[in-house]
Amino acid sequence: MEVDLSVVNGDAGSDAGVEHGARLVAFVEAVMQGDDAAIERERRELLAVLPAESFVDAAATIGAFNIVDRVADATGIALDEMLEAMSSDFRGKLKLERFASAANTRQAK
Amino acid sequence: MIDFDCSPAGVPIRDDLREAHRFLRLHLSSPGTWWSAHERLAIAAESRNAIGCGLCGERKAALSPNAVTGSHDTLGVLPADVVEVVHRVRTDSGRLSKVWFDRVIAGGLEETRYVELVSIVALLAGVDYFARALGIAPPLLPEPLGGEPSRHRPTSAKAQAAWVPMIAAEDVQDLEADIYGGAPFVPNIMRALSLVPDEARMLQRASSAHYVAVAQIGDPTVRRSLDRMQMELVAARVSALNECFY
Repeated sequence: MEVDLSVVNGDAGSDAGVEHGARLVAFVEAVMQGDDAAIERERRELLAVLPAESFVDAAATIGAFNIVDRVADATGIALDEMLEAMSSDFRGKLKLERFASAANTRQAK
Repeated sequence: MIDFDCSPAGVPIRDDLREAHRFLRLHLSSPGTWWSAHERLAIAAESRNAIGCGLCGERKAALSPNAVTGSHDTLGVLPADVVEVVHRVRTDSGRLSKVWFDRVIAGGLEETRYVELVSIVALLAGVDYFARALGIAPPLLPEPLGGEPSRHRPTSAKAQAAWVPMIAAEDVQDLEADIYGGAPFVPNIMRALSLVPDEARMLQRASSAHYVAVAQIGDPTVRRSLDRMQMELVAARVSALNECFY
């Protein structure tokens, strides 16, 4: 399956090759921005296309990565060699080096 | 992860999520390894207070957080150096730097206390975003339980590929023998909090319930009701918005 990675950076309005990808990304953005009206709207839209269990999984994944991201960035852990090897292609495509945290993650090695 | 009423969301919450919430409620309200239960809950409360902090808002909007000076809007319970860490980890963790970390530690906050604090702030942020996504109020913080911090520092924690000491997978011993669960691959995120082993265990429990077990991260066939591609898209967009490289 071909995935349009630009959606990760908010650059695409399509499903990006992932089922209901556009709805999922719109929901994530609403939750992260904290706009209650947008969250309610996107929640309704998502629940219209996904089973409730899948919606809960999406909400839980948002929670999980708000934990993991903070732990990673506040402890300055290095990117694991195996993970880097697995992800170097899409990291380049996503231009993740632009994040300030990239310097920390590299420096820690 | 806190035992809170999810019924207003009108959606079924998995049993493992409910159990993780109950466990975190107990975890947060108990004496920690370096902070008392009162202090842990004060850190949790201050982390929520950070969301409305004027200084944090100005820093978040600035090209560099270092370009904005001032004082945090604080609940007034914790010392200023602790408030600074709590607010920065909660509101702008993607732009933390080694220079900032070194300054925090040079200011007198021990690495052990720092790691436990990061865990509390991060775990509660996860709970709060989960609640927000469900459209329900964030859970009330529990009452503190009595007792003293254990002050257990694992001797096997050493300076490694991080700002803070960590336990290498090959060095686990004694009280920490279970810490990585025998996983064949131990990513650094699994080790990040290992200077305070109970927090590393809690992170794994939280990750397993909300996403997939750490040991299964590398297996693309592991999924939930949401398929793995959908989960990874959600995860990647969250991390991009948090400006997290890892």
